[in-house]
Amino acid sequence: MRRAALLPILLLPLLAWAAPPAGSVNEDTVRQIAAELRCVVCQNLSVADSPSEMANQMRGIIRERLQAGDTPEQVVAYFVDKYGEWILLSPRPRGFNLLVWVLPFAGIGVGLVAVLLLARRWSRRAASEPVAEAIDAATRERIRREMAELEP
Amino acid sequence: MTPEIGYALTAVALALALYGAGAAAIGARRGHPALIQSSQHAALGVFVLIAAAMLLLVYAFLTFDFSVRYVAMNTNRGTPFYYRITALWGALEGSIILWSWMLSLYTLLVILRYRTRQPEFYPWVLSVMLGILAFFLLVMTIPAPPFQRLTPIPPDGRGLNPLLEDTGMITHPVALYLGFTGFTVPFAFAMAALITGRIGDEWLTATRRWTIVAWYFLSLGLLIGGWWSYHVLGWGGYWAWDPVENAAFMPWLTGTAFLHSVMIQERRRILKLWNLTLIILTFGLTIFGTFLTRSGILSSVHSFTQGAIGAFFLGFIALVLLGAFGLVAARGDRLKAQGELDSILSRESAFLLNNLFLVAAAFTVFFGTVFPLLSEAVRGVKVSVGAPFFNLVNIPIFLALIFLMGVGPLIAWRRASRENLRRNFLWPVAVGVAAAAVFRLLGVANALALLCFGLVVFVTATILMDFYRATRAKLLSGERLLPAMGGLVIRQNRRYGGFVVHLGILVIALGVFGSNAWSIQTETTLGRGEAFQIGGYHVRFDGLAASEESNHFKVTGTFTVANNGHRLAVMYPAKKFYPQEQTPIAYVDYLMGLREDLYLVLGDFARDGSQATIKVQVNRMVTLIWIGGLILTLGAALAVLPDRKKA
Repeated sequence: MRRAALLPILLLPLLAWAAPPAGSVNEDTVRQIAAELRCVVCQNLSVADSPSEMANQMRGIIRERLQAGDTPEQVVAYFVDKYGEWILLSPRPRGFNLLVWVLPFAGIGVGLVAVLLLARRWSRRAASEPVAEAIDAATRERIRREMAELEP
Repeated sequence: MTPEIGYALTAVALALALYGAGAAAIGARRGHPALIQSSQHAALGVFVLIAAAMLLLVYAFLTFDFSVRYVAMNTNRGTPFYYRITALWGALEGSIILWSWMLSLYTLLVILRYRTRQPEFYPWVLSVMLGILAFFLLVMTIPAPPFQRLTPIPPDGRGLNPLLEDTGMITHPVALYLGFTGFTVPFAFAMAALITGRIGDEWLTATRRWTIVAWYFLSLGLLIGGWWSYHVLGWGGYWAWDPVENAAFMPWLTGTAFLHSVMIQERRRILKLWNLTLIILTFGLTIFGTFLTRSGILSSVHSFTQGAIGAFFLGFIALVLLGAFGLVAARGDRLKAQGELDSILSRESAFLLNNLFLVAAAFTVFFGTVFPLLSEAVRGVKVSVGAPFFNLVNIPIFLALIFLMGVGPLIAWRRASRENLRRNFLWPVAVGVAAAAVFRLLGVANALALLCFGLVVFVTATILMDFYRATRAKLLSGERLLPAMGGLVIRQNRRYGGFVVHLGILVIALGVFGSNAWSIQTETTLGRGEAFQIGGYHVRFDGLAASEESNHFKVTGTFTVANNGHRLAVMYPAKKFYPQEQTPIAYVDYLMGLREDLYLVLGDFARDGSQATIKVQVNRMVTLIWIGGLILTLGAALAVLPDRKKA
């Protein structure tokens, strides 16, 4: 896997060098695609952000392929073909990857339901218990303090 | 001799910490004050020994003692003086010395403050803190010893990672570790509360200010880290959702949740179990962060087995979680809530939702960070989870949190009446909506930015309105304006400190959203004398110069910048070539402003200086993030003042 990934890395400079100067390609599209791809030599930066030479060459390839008539999807697919899914900074939401997309929101959903259930259970308990005092001690203390503060 | 002396110091400190932890526990169980006293002495001894080890290592750095492996790995004869001192925490082994030294310092402060005050808790707090300290000392003696002899002694060292040669690296780790280790204090109190069975509010009240201090340092550490990334790494951003950053962000999120939910327990006697869970999670995450970033597990699940360090940390995390949650389970009967929740429209539930979203954000960051490992283990396929994912998933969560920041402090406890809602929220909501409309008319088209601005204005309005009403009440009672305002802030320092922190967070949020929405950048190659335009700036390339620095070779570009015809500045972005690094390091030059920064990164260049590639960014509103950090500092300082109400 590692070895296979090396070849395109070595070839990249040649490709970039051969690329015609950008003209008709929309730089925003280049940037959008580059923001989704991982710079292969960096810690954790996208191809759009990275100041490295490698990222520069990868931007060159994006530009070149767009110029050759590829759609943005095809450009991304090209990189996935070369480097594997690892190149995508956000995993494609399909198969096992769905887990990482769904679980956070499922967690929030479960949490919301739990808060609601808790609120209902607690308030029912509050209703069934005889109320000894209308206000608990802590609240009364707070009222006393805040009243005292209002007085000169 | 230095490596041997240093190793001996850490080994003796380990023995003392273990003894002290045991002595305090037995002393507390059997009621022997002499044993507790002895444990205090042991804690003092541990502090002195670690301090001595740290000084010894600094001395080794300053004298280029390459017989110490760590020194040879992290410095060379060219490393400038100050960075030879900070090289101490340039890698894992030294970071752990710094970490344990701070932990021993916190232990001493706890002894000084509580030795006569909390007779029930105190010995157990001491025991737990020394136990944790013993773990770090164990790491320093077995898997990651900072003092290891290197033979044969090399003539020169490898040198410090050049990215760490920056003032940000002097302060960032210190602040971050003060935050990490600071959370040990409330954790130790929570454990003491569980062990003694006194699970009331005492442990919370005792640790309130410790928690604020830890939280503040962690926030500061994160902000300085962002600042460092912004002006050193040369990619024009301050946050990349890198696992290292996420590792520090997760305990911040759960710590923030803890800071809020303790208020509910104090007032309403509910959420006891939840608060214990949160502080255990926060402490666990500070350890987990170190494990994640230092064990090498992130590069691949398989590299994990190469070093013993990962196993030590994983074992310790398992021990902490099992022990802590075991204690919680054992005390389950006492953790039943005494209070109740009357309505979903109440301050209690606003705080519950705040907790829910903060913990959800922490979980998202956690799961996203470890998902590549999971994918590799389950499917055998490496995937990346980076900025696009985290931004997308977290933005709705953070917007919800900003909204709750406006609701929480003003909505009534127990049950909010329609009158209460109208009185507190009618105006702020109106102002927020109006502000969003005005921004729309001013030409802001980005829906997300409008939503964010509207929310920020809404929350600011709630804070101002609250302050206005409280001041008016004081004026009515005959006080003059300034004394009334000052008195409010000082006497209710907790409340207003919190508000100021909220304002700081709002300013940071504006900076984050603004910089993401409106920054522009371009990359271009210029010949000498050529110029180009970006965002109203006129940037001209004037030439290159080469120079030799103490430990690297530097190529500096000269660029003249003009704005609307008049000359603004001459800027010098550079590239630094370190012999120990394969690729050059960018040295960014930037022009900071309140509204926007002009940010230049030198790219490739022709050797004869005839042309150079330059990346130019106009980063909008980034400065707000640093200003927000200052406001946050003020607020935290105010909140941590001793309570004046009782006086």
